[in-house]
Amino acid sequence: MKNNYRHYYVLPLSFALLWALSTTLTSQNGSPPISGIITDANEPLGGVNILVKNTSRGTQSDMDGHYEIAANNTDTLVFSYLGYKMQEIAVDNKTILNVIMFPDATTLDQVVINAGYYNTTDKKRTGSIGRVTAAEIDKQPINNPLEAMQGRVTGVDVVQNSGVPGGGFKVRIRGQNSLMAGNEPLYIIDGVPYDIKTLGSSNTAGGIIPGADISVLNAINPESIESIEILKDADATAIYGSRGANGVVLITTKRGKEGKTKITVSSSTGIAQINRMAKLLNTAQYLEMRREAFANDGITEYPATAYDVNGTWDLNRNTDWQKELTGRTVNARKIFAQASGGNADTQFLLGGQYQEETTVFAGNFAYDRLSVNTNLNHQGKDERFKIVFSAGYSLEGNNLPSIDFTSDALRLAPNAPALYDENGNLNWEDSTWANPLAAVESKYSQDSKNLISNTIISYSLLDNFEIKINAGYGFTHLRSQTTTPHTIYDPAFGLDSGFSSLITTDARRTYWITEPQVRWHKKIGENVWDILLGTSFQETANEQNGVMGMGFSTNNFINNLSAATTLFILGEKKTEYKYHSIFGRINYAYRNQLFLNVTGRRDGSSRFGPNNKYGNFGAVGAAWIFTERNNYSWISFGKLRGSYGITGNDQIGDYQYLQTYTIQDYPYEGSIGLVPSRLYNPNFKWEKILKREAAVEMDFFDKNISFSVAYYNNTSSNQLVNYALPGTTGFTSIQSNLGAEVENSGLEFNLEGVLAHRKNFSWDSSINLSLPRNKLLAFPGLENSTYANRYVVGKPLTIVKLYELEGVNPETGIFEFKDFNGDGVISSDKDRQYIADLSPQYFGGLSNSITYKAWSLDFLLQFAKKKGYNQYRYTDPAGTLSNQPVSVLDRWQQPGDIAAMQRFTTGEDYEAYLAYSRFTQSSGTISDASFIRLRSLEVAYRLLLGNEGGASCRLYLQGINLLTYSRFEGGDPEQAKGFIPPLRRITFGAQFHL
Amino acid sequence: MKKTRQHRIKKYIYLLLCTLLICSCEDFLEVDGPLGQIESSEVYEDETTATAAVMTLYGKLRDEVLLTGRPEGVGTLMGIYADELDFYGFGGEPMDSFYQHQVYSDDLIVENLWNGSYSLIYMTNATLAGLENSKTLSNGTKAQLRGEAMFIRSLAYFYLVNLFGDIPYPTGTKYETNRNLPKVPVSKVYEMIITDLKEAKSLLGTNYLLDERTRANQMVVAALLARVYLYTKQWSLAETEAGTLINNVFVFRLEPEVSQEFLKESTSTILQLRPKYDGGNTLEASTFLFTSGPPPLVALNPEFIEGMEEGDNRKNQWIGAVTDGTETWYFPYKYKYNSNTGTSIEYSIILRISEQFLIRAEARVKQGNLSGALEDINVIRNRAGLMDVDANSESGIIEAIINERFHELFTEFGHRWFDIKRLDLANEILAPIKSGWKTTDILLPIPEAELMMNPNLNPQNSGY
Repeated sequence: MKNNYRHYYVLPLSFALLWALSTTLTSQNGSPPISGIITDANEPLGGVNILVKNTSRGTQSDMDGHYEIAANNTDTLVFSYLGYKMQEIAVDNKTILNVIMFPDATTLDQVVINAGYYNTTDKKRTGSIGRVTAAEIDKQPINNPLEAMQGRVTGVDVVQNSGVPGGGFKVRIRGQNSLMAGNEPLYIIDGVPYDIKTLGSSNTAGGIIPGADISVLNAINPESIESIEILKDADATAIYGSRGANGVVLITTKRGKEGKTKITVSSSTGIAQINRMAKLLNTAQYLEMRREAFANDGITEYPATAYDVNGTWDLNRNTDWQKELTGRTVNARKIFAQASGGNADTQFLLGGQYQEETTVFAGNFAYDRLSVNTNLNHQGKDERFKIVFSAGYSLEGNNLPSIDFTSDALRLAPNAPALYDENGNLNWEDSTWANPLAAVESKYSQDSKNLISNTIISYSLLDNFEIKINAGYGFTHLRSQTTTPHTIYDPAFGLDSGFSSLITTDARRTYWITEPQVRWHKKIGENVWDILLGTSFQETANEQNGVMGMGFSTNNFINNLSAATTLFILGEKKTEYKYHSIFGRINYAYRNQLFLNVTGRRDGSSRFGPNNKYGNFGAVGAAWIFTERNNYSWISFGKLRGSYGITGNDQIGDYQYLQTYTIQDYPYEGSIGLVPSRLYNPNFKWEKILKREAAVEMDFFDKNISFSVAYYNNTSSNQLVNYALPGTTGFTSIQSNLGAEVENSGLEFNLEGVLAHRKNFSWDSSINLSLPRNKLLAFPGLENSTYANRYVVGKPLTIVKLYELEGVNPETGIFEFKDFNGDGVISSDKDRQYIADLSPQYFGGLSNSITYKAWSLDFLLQFAKKKGYNQYRYTDPAGTLSNQPVSVLDRWQQPGDIAAMQRFTTGEDYEAYLAYSRFTQSSGTISDASFIRLRSLEVAYRLLLGNEGGASCRLYLQGINLLTYSRFEGGDPEQAKGFIPPLRRITFGAQFHL
Repeated sequence: MKKTRQHRIKKYIYLLLCTLLICSCEDFLEVDGPLGQIESSEVYEDETTATAAVMTLYGKLRDEVLLTGRPEGVGTLMGIYADELDFYGFGGEPMDSFYQHQVYSDDLIVENLWNGSYSLIYMTNATLAGLENSKTLSNGTKAQLRGEAMFIRSLAYFYLVNLFGDIPYPTGTKYETNRNLPKVPVSKVYEMIITDLKEAKSLLGTNYLLDERTRANQMVVAALLARVYLYTKQWSLAETEAGTLINNVFVFRLEPEVSQEFLKESTSTILQLRPKYDGGNTLEASTFLFTSGPPPLVALNPEFIEGMEEGDNRKNQWIGAVTDGTETWYFPYKYKYNSNTGTSIEYSIILRISEQFLIRAEARVKQGNLSGALEDINVIRNRAGLMDVDANSESGIIEAIINERFHELFTEFGHRWFDIKRLDLANEILAPIKSGWKTTDILLPIPEAELMMNPNLNPQNSGY
């Protein structure tokens, strides 16, 4: 396995060789007076208009950025291209004029923005739409498209759940709207809704991937993406009706473009590691703690089970378990190739990518992905008939240990025994410990196939009337298995392979959608109308099966279900989800300065009972460009916009309104197990979210600086709640609508500036900042519900209620807590009144893009101000048989000591034990987890291979999560949960354009 | 010409628009029922599914709730709570709180015991309601299934009342009612259990439906009823119920050899639970057995071993030992098979005739029939290879019974704990050996979350 990686370094070298060859082979015959290559600092730019100033002579650059034009020495050439700054360059006796075009970041009004069912431009849009483009995505060594949004878009908070390959993300667009139903945005890939609910099974993946939440978006290769648009406000999301509440993420893949066939090949190789380990006690410190704990508890003779101090384990061993178990360096490599081109009527694109990487865990584990994506566009000669087809297919394989060793690494005593004995077998040290590496023998593996395809056929019946059908089909098939050989158990149990087990799960999702639409648009004098009307039919079927095999004659057959002596079905699930809607949009523009947008949708969903299948949603948005009529010398563009509307949320499971029995695994005397599925409530319905937004967008100083600020206020009501019930009802909850209300409001700022744009040097910079506020407005019956200890009316949903730590009593050496109700007793229901909010107070990013000649530097600093659970949250009392953060050493030892940590205890001292367990539920476990992180960095050098029409090469060094500045002591400040944090990743690669 | 064409197109457009708008397609949203789910009303219209719903109750008992042989069953939990078992798991594990007597009202195990039991009770109530409303099931089937459901509900309430004291007693399925139920005093709970068991007895037949004594019948109900009478000090009733079983020698004969007692063919068995899979054996065996020390989870308390008399066959046959040369650990070895044996050898035995002898002995003592009591105790002692008991005072015989119950019924569903609790011996026995012991530990706390959601359950049991 390892050797393969070495081979890999050869690849960039061979490309270099290719480049050398291609330079010598470049032909030089018959050049007209002036020629050159036009690039955008990254790659050749085709379609650039070149005009000899004050003449009508002009040409366009081809797909390789190459152009030729006849001009006199005294002429001046004018280069112009949509979205780029116009340049005038004097010929001045030169025959070769290579030009770098600079993006005109502030004139995005001509760049088309995907708004889902329709397109708009930055200038004309009435809604709030954030955007990440290929230019940004390709500069980060990422595996999942969601990573690309981190720190780049206001109002979008993306947190990676785990650094293991294949893990999921938590994405919140403008905060948490729902108490308990899903808060995930709606994902649309090339017009097809993409269900991102995981197909992972907790039976197999639960121990290694948090919540078995395998991100289905891992199937999308980020390099195949042209842009990601994030729809946020009512105006942009109401057309998605009952699914738009939590925002919409539109992913558009790359399209073929007219021009000569263009081939891009890139290849990269890199490493990754955990960048912040916790600081733990070493053996000397640890044993000092343990001995002191026994002394404190008045125990003079170490009990038989205190293996770490009573001499059973070597008192001189010292293992850094974090390094041992999760400290490996990941080797990663990627190769990508893409061809695209076509003529005016038909264009194509074909791309493929393969990547492979190992893991940070001890043991041989790896992830790989092969993906292909394709696009075909065709239009009839009269341009009335158009067809667009796109498809992506990917295969993923993932091999991991069945559990994440992170929490073992934090807890194991540093003098715990060796993992293996002299014979290379797992060492159980006479049953004195649970060998963490036993889990390595228990392997999780997963392979998945994913297809997503979409066809758009449109026909213009009249000049201003178009009919269109958008049809999509896709499937995801995920197979996973976990093997548990008997060897992972302590041999003291006396088990043999008759006890070994294999769990396999097979999950499939297939879905289709068709959306017939009509569009009518007309300009009548100063008035422009654009009306869209459509309907949508969608169906999704999910199937999930799990089988467990137990009892193998030998572990050699552990991968074969047929070799198991006993088979049983863990689950067999098949669900169907159907969706039908009518939607429409009316857009009106007056003189290019006043825009009005009305959108609406009537949705029906099979998830709701017969009485509540349909719901209506809609929004109004308006924009006024006040600079159209009045000219201000320093304001080049100014727009006020606002929107108001209602969207919904139907993210609850399927069939929740039925009263049924479910087959479950309690066979008895030849009967199957039948268990009541749930408490019966046929009446629940959508959550509704009222969204309001007002924003100002302005450009200054000849559009060199642009600034926007948006204020939003969203209130969600009719909360779909899995309302907790006392166990005496037979269930712990019931699905129902509750009159609770949640408000999300906030300010979002964007400032972009062109700091320099000279011939050889350019510097663009932008900063975004989000200030979200979340507030629970109402929650009827909160006091008498299980949520009384979780939510407070008037506070965010993301709070935690804790004991308030008052410190260590200098006399007794034990933690003390604030007695809020003054009854002299610390009780869990009355005295957990300290409130800490764990969601960020503000977050944002600062990105810079600098080019100097052929060099470019891009980096993004991501920052967040927030609090988080620190290193103590999941610890056992300091002094028990469990390692601790090094910070516990500041502890109480004798009366009079002022210390941060209470006296060590083995757990025998009841009072100290109780105080510690309260401590882990107290304000003492909350720390400032604010951070500034060098989220991504790319340094690239661009070589033009030959003078004209030839190839080019880009060499780059990319990194993510490179540096983190934070005072937080509990590991990674962004994600602190006992799973592998996001990794630091450094990649070197080369990209060729041929 | 052009005009007509435009006209025609317009017509198409209108047609299209109309289809788009009019067809709201309510039918499209109809979905097939989910795989693996059956409408509740249909379950009780078919004998197979109705029976399956009742069999699931046994399956739940075996795998998950209260009587499961897993560590989360009362057998292990109350074993470490009392003086039967020592806990060897790692400190900080949830079970440690039971062993150390540091159980708080937010204890996860307590919550599981409570929620699991009430979930089982809900299932029995749903079954009772379903049977009531069934239009197609025969009366015979209805009576059989109703009887079994009532038996299992009573069994669950019996354990709940002993673990928690005053408890709510839901008999229906409406969550609007069940979420606000108040506590019912212990004496009243027993009254209701007795009423239910009597009804179950009247509904069920005298024979086992299956050869293997795996489903409740009249005898099974009588065995539980005898225990309930014992616990409520209704001595003569206890004697009568136990007597009917003991006298039914065609069915129940104490196995002469202790080694045969826990085989699935044992004639001592009154009710046993068939393993989940063919060839599988008991969950008790997988929990208790170990082959090298120190024990991975629990082991018998050494004091218990010392307390056994010389020559007690139960010590050789029902207790296993493992030594590392310096130290020896003992484990319950009543069940000997912890993996698949092709054909199952042992089932988990819930009720057996030995207990009935000891119930009758105790009931007889309390009614002044000392010789009758000695007779019953000696049946058990002699079977174990021991001499007749050497006691003749009431207190002496009671002490002998307690001892005999300990040695006969150890690690069977918390008998030891429930005995020392009902006889007010817990403080005397546990105070010296459990540093965390408090007299209020006699009851477990009502889960904190329950109290919060249903204030009618207040006050919390004292000491929590």
